[in-house]
Amino acid sequence: MPDAAAVIETDDLTRGFRGVTAVDGLTLQVAAGEVVALLGPNGAGKTTTVRLLNGVLSPERGTSRVLGLDSSRDGHAIRARTGVVTETASLDDRLTAMENVLTHARIRGLSIDEARRRAMALFERFDMAGRADEQVQGFSTGQRKRVALARSLVHDPEVLFLDEPTSGLDPDATRDVTELIATLARERGRTVLLCTHFLAEAGRLCHRMAVLQRGRLLAFGRPDELAARLWRGTAVDLDLGRTADEHLLGWVGALEGVHGADASPTGAVIRITDRAVLPTIVASLVGRDITVYAVVPRPATMEDVYFAVTGGDIGGDIGDGSGDGLGGIGQVVP
Amino acid sequence: MSRRNWPAIRAVVWKDVTAIRRSKAIVLPMVIVPALLLIVLPTVIGLAARGTNSPDISQFLSRLPHGFASPIQRLPQNQQLIVLVNGYLLAPLFLIVPLMVSSVLAADAFAGEKERRTLEGLLHLPITERDLFYAKVAAAFVPAVAVSWIGWLAFTVVADTVAWPVMHRAFLPTRLWAVVILWVAPAVAALGMGIMVRVSARAKTTQEASQLGGAVVLPLIFLAVGQSTGLLLVTMPVALAIGGVIWVIALALLSRGASRFTRDRMSATM
Repeated sequence: MPDAAAVIETDDLTRGFRGVTAVDGLTLQVAAGEVVALLGPNGAGKTTTVRLLNGVLSPERGTSRVLGLDSSRDGHAIRARTGVVTETASLDDRLTAMENVLTHARIRGLSIDEARRRAMALFERFDMAGRADEQVQGFSTGQRKRVALARSLVHDPEVLFLDEPTSGLDPDATRDVTELIATLARERGRTVLLCTHFLAEAGRLCHRMAVLQRGRLLAFGRPDELAARLWRGTAVDLDLGRTADEHLLGWVGALEGVHGADASPTGAVIRITDRAVLPTIVASLVGRDITVYAVVPRPATMEDVYFAVTGGDIGGDIGDGSGDGLGGIGQVVP
Repeated sequence: MSRRNWPAIRAVVWKDVTAIRRSKAIVLPMVIVPALLLIVLPTVIGLAARGTNSPDISQFLSRLPHGFASPIQRLPQNQQLIVLVNGYLLAPLFLIVPLMVSSVLAADAFAGEKERRTLEGLLHLPITERDLFYAKVAAAFVPAVAVSWIGWLAFTVVADTVAWPVMHRAFLPTRLWAVVILWVAPAVAALGMGIMVRVSARAKTTQEASQLGGAVVLPLIFLAVGQSTGLLLVTMPVALAIGGVIWVIALALLSRGASRFTRDRMSATM
């Protein structure tokens, strides 16, 4: 059933290329003002999903609606109200930063004066005002991303599709962009679909996450909800001063009340149902002459859920995760 | 159907033309080839005819069809070379200019946009496929015709000036040249573009498009060269007919190209 409040909704959305299915039966809804992360490795179907939603590609099966408009039929109207930052920034090297933004603004129907005023305000916000009239040719990846972001925002879109908006940015720029996205959603009610490899970024920004793998939606929901569905209990960080080896992980995982154990950079992450078992676990570790520096129960993160859902199949390009997964729990779509 | 969105079309044309102007790899051939053909060549011919030993081309003229050769044969010997080359033989050769310029620009506008990965940004904009196609075609066609016409004006001035001591009159433009410039050259520009639009749909890079297009464009250039060497002499009716045929082929190619210029198709090949 279509959700009246949904700004983005897909139903059984499917598209392939030359016999390979890129998006396979995708069904999801995104509410107004929500920031949703589309997570998955290269080839998961994230970019194809964005193209389908904007009516750039036609589906083989299923439907999608953005702002209540049918993507296949009303693509033009959708594109007038959305902004897209593509993965490669998609800037013309031979034009200046300002010219790149002005071209898109003019195509979107803004007057030249208004477009210039808005572009300059965005460049100032992204600390690019001093380079607005330089050709993009010599720009770094981060500078290109900032110009692309300015271009996608110049018409004040209602929905933003951001394909890897912070890849190539330095930490300061990443923080600025992240804050901007959060502000757009929080204060201006903008809806954001964020395709990203960076789980930490998604974790900071997003209300809900959709995990795609080979075109299929494996999980969709809030990280804590998904975690609750994936496993009972709590994750606990054990700081052992070094990464736990396989032998130790096997031993800890077999202790009573422990449902799983994975390596972490400082030791291990274990899953327990009842915190009452913690003293016994610590005593057992100390009994084996293992130093325990800290025991920190914490809520499940996006990383935990991602690796649990994908079974650690990260395609070699998911960043900022602990990396070992929690055993491939499988599909968790509401 | 929907009306054209002229501001959007103008924005795309402006973007493409601005980008082209800043690309030396595109601008240099667009300047050098017309300069050689339309300034250096008529200068050399004019200077050769002004010499005391101006070449005797009577034997060459006698082998040409009577209707074509007789008006030239009636001229003084030192004027014959100038009128034959600058008045007639250069006209078909001149068509290399619109053909080359439009092919290079169309390859940049279509395949180049894919290669630079800038096409996707355009596809996500509220511009219809048809408007985007027209804008891209205009961005190649208008400069190609402009370069041809400016080159031809320069040619006319140079050829008349250099030949003045021999001709004692401005013998250009001729009616044949007028047909070539106003009718055949735009047709040839459209043809070069039509070919490159089709080729660019398959090519992923400008180089690939140029190579694929070369297989089609080069034979046409050889045809033009063949014309200029007297294999197929151009007279007014022939020029009009050739222009008409080229227009039909070009418009058919462009029409087919437009129907295949869809977001889905382009996006699927990116």
